[in-house]
Amino acid sequence: MKTLPQSIELMINKNLDRMESFIHTRPKVDFLFGSLFTAFDGLLRSSKDTAGTQPFIRNNYDVKRYMGAVLVALVFGWVLPSVYFYGWQTVLSRLAVSFIAGVFLADVIWAIIAREKHISEGGFVTCLFIPALLPPQAPLWLVGLGAALAILFRNIMGGVGNNLVNPALFSRLFLTICFPALLTAGYQAPVTGIPDLHSFRYGIDVITHATPLTAFKVNGELTPYLSLLLGTASGSLGETCRIALILAALWLIKIRVANWRIPVSYLGSVFIFSVFFSFLFGQTVAPPLFQLFSGGLILGAFFMATDPITTTYNQTAKWTFGIGCGLVTLLLRNFTTLPEGVMYAILLMNLLAIPIQFLAVKLRYHT
Amino acid sequence: MLRRKEKMGFHGGFNLLDTYPLKFCNIIEEIQSDRTPEKFEFHFPDQKIRHVIVNLCPTEPWALPNWVVLGHKTTAFLDKLYEMKTRYFPEASVSIAINKRETEFVAKAIGYANAADWIKIYTLDPKYPQDDPVMFAKVILGLDINFGQNITTQGIFIFDAQTLLAIYDTCILKNTVNSRLITLSGSGLKENEIVRVRLGTSIDTLLQHRTQEAIKYNIFVNGPLRGREITDISQKIDWSVNNIVVLKDQDSKVIFPMLKSDELAFTTNILGEPRQCVYCNFCDNICPVELEPALYYHSYIRGEKHKARLYHLEKCIECGLCSFICPSKLELLRINKECKALDRKT
Repeated sequence: MKTLPQSIELMINKNLDRMESFIHTRPKVDFLFGSLFTAFDGLLRSSKDTAGTQPFIRNNYDVKRYMGAVLVALVFGWVLPSVYFYGWQTVLSRLAVSFIAGVFLADVIWAIIAREKHISEGGFVTCLFIPALLPPQAPLWLVGLGAALAILFRNIMGGVGNNLVNPALFSRLFLTICFPALLTAGYQAPVTGIPDLHSFRYGIDVITHATPLTAFKVNGELTPYLSLLLGTASGSLGETCRIALILAALWLIKIRVANWRIPVSYLGSVFIFSVFFSFLFGQTVAPPLFQLFSGGLILGAFFMATDPITTTYNQTAKWTFGIGCGLVTLLLRNFTTLPEGVMYAILLMNLLAIPIQFLAVKLRYHT
Repeated sequence: MLRRKEKMGFHGGFNLLDTYPLKFCNIIEEIQSDRTPEKFEFHFPDQKIRHVIVNLCPTEPWALPNWVVLGHKTTAFLDKLYEMKTRYFPEASVSIAINKRETEFVAKAIGYANAADWIKIYTLDPKYPQDDPVMFAKVILGLDINFGQNITTQGIFIFDAQTLLAIYDTCILKNTVNSRLITLSGSGLKENEIVRVRLGTSIDTLLQHRTQEAIKYNIFVNGPLRGREITDISQKIDWSVNNIVVLKDQDSKVIFPMLKSDELAFTTNILGEPRQCVYCNFCDNICPVELEPALYYHSYIRGEKHKARLYHLEKCIECGLCSFICPSKLELLRINKECKALDRKT
């Protein structure tokens, strides 16, 4: 006698099998929907591949779980806090646009045109990053364009595993160049206090405010550290609530998805270099703790720089990578007209990661 | 049921005993065979034996556990070892590697070693592949030996408890030893058991009525990680067979795998879809000899197999942990072996 869940499972399984054989026996259908079906099927069912060579048992941990862990960390790190600070209307609409434009349009169309065998789960991570990097009141089409560009760019480079630089950051750079006005405005001040029913139904009143780093650059104003840490200072949608980001990232480091060497070296070098710079230049550069907790540094150091594909593979070289990121960030922040330099620093070091890795291998193996 | 604690790989090895806890029945069944059994033979070589390591630290859950062989007679076992030492290798250093967690054996052995200065006790973490000859030589003797090198030429002998007792029986007591203990385990069997088999029995007779009906299964001798797959089941069992693992061949899709990890675990399914390398650093974290397997993979897919040799490939002990842990399900061990084979040819 079968229980109800079991018979439902059997039914789903049988129908998926029928769909699979239907799709794979017709080349034209397979051309259009093969990869889409495989992606959908991969979310519901395990693979049927068995180990053909030694070792014959494998660990129960695959790329789906790896990317899933990043997704979970990002949801707790920025989605939930920004739903509180900016209202669910702002956050969920941007997420929906980002996912639809990135995963469901750009990735699916690419898979059909380029005849990819599967749609990568890494697209979800990229699309979850895009709204986080843009101002809270950035227009929706900008979010969609950013997501589509990120996915397109990643696929052109050869998909997950081959991208030279972080696709989400690259797309942000592209938007910064093309629409500079839209990316310097729209920094909504987060709401504080207990949300009432009115704001829940109709959204939160939009009051824009300069980001802490711009405020410092313009009139030397220092935002209180507690406000920076809790997320009540303005900034991009995902970077404000730093305490949640730190906690989520610590969990990622604990389960070994993020490598601890990069955040430690990145944040450590930012702190040490800014102590050094304040000693040399005094009040013209921001104090060390303010540097640590402002801008996208926490999001960048814990989530963007640790993207394993774009950093070096060698573990010792990761220290160099992190220190380089920290130095470039500080140079851009303190000695240029740019208020924030995390994005440029990570993108630059992503490219430099290749020679660093090359050198590290050379040094280690004396080749 | 999610009883199993899924442990991630930790630095330099993997705790298989916790990941796949196999329970064995206490009753040891004897398997009858009508063939005439083969005899166990062992001759000490003429050359000097410098080091003897007794392996009481099996790191694979399907290996023969210590309690089967030793029982509560650890002291008697060590007395026998002393008798053999005085007779055959009086000048050799004798080390015993014991699983840190088996507190009963550890306590008895340390109590014994306090009174005897000829023996050294090493308590080790039961992480795979700690019981590999290369790892033993490194951890216990501090010697660097290469994988695949014949360690007996260097005067190093590594015995497990059962072999040592068999040598004692044949060489000192002059008895004939013609049977040995073997563990049978895996998802393809009805239950895990320990059996005593005559040497020369075929695997066929051994597995009769023990495998589950109506499933496909694969048979592995000496474990699915380092052992070999058996296709000819009329093969005979000799002394080198320590255990037989029969794994279910899960080649159909299972719906909602995240809820059914116990159904998929310990089968030959690769538990995921093959993907490109994402540089996650799992393989070099887990590698017991501190190599970077992804470098070999990238040399290999670029068609530069010869380059892989530059990255200390000869140190690889072929434990298979890199393939085991890889979230992209890459065949890293096969690639390593292919690159090594190239080395031998040129």
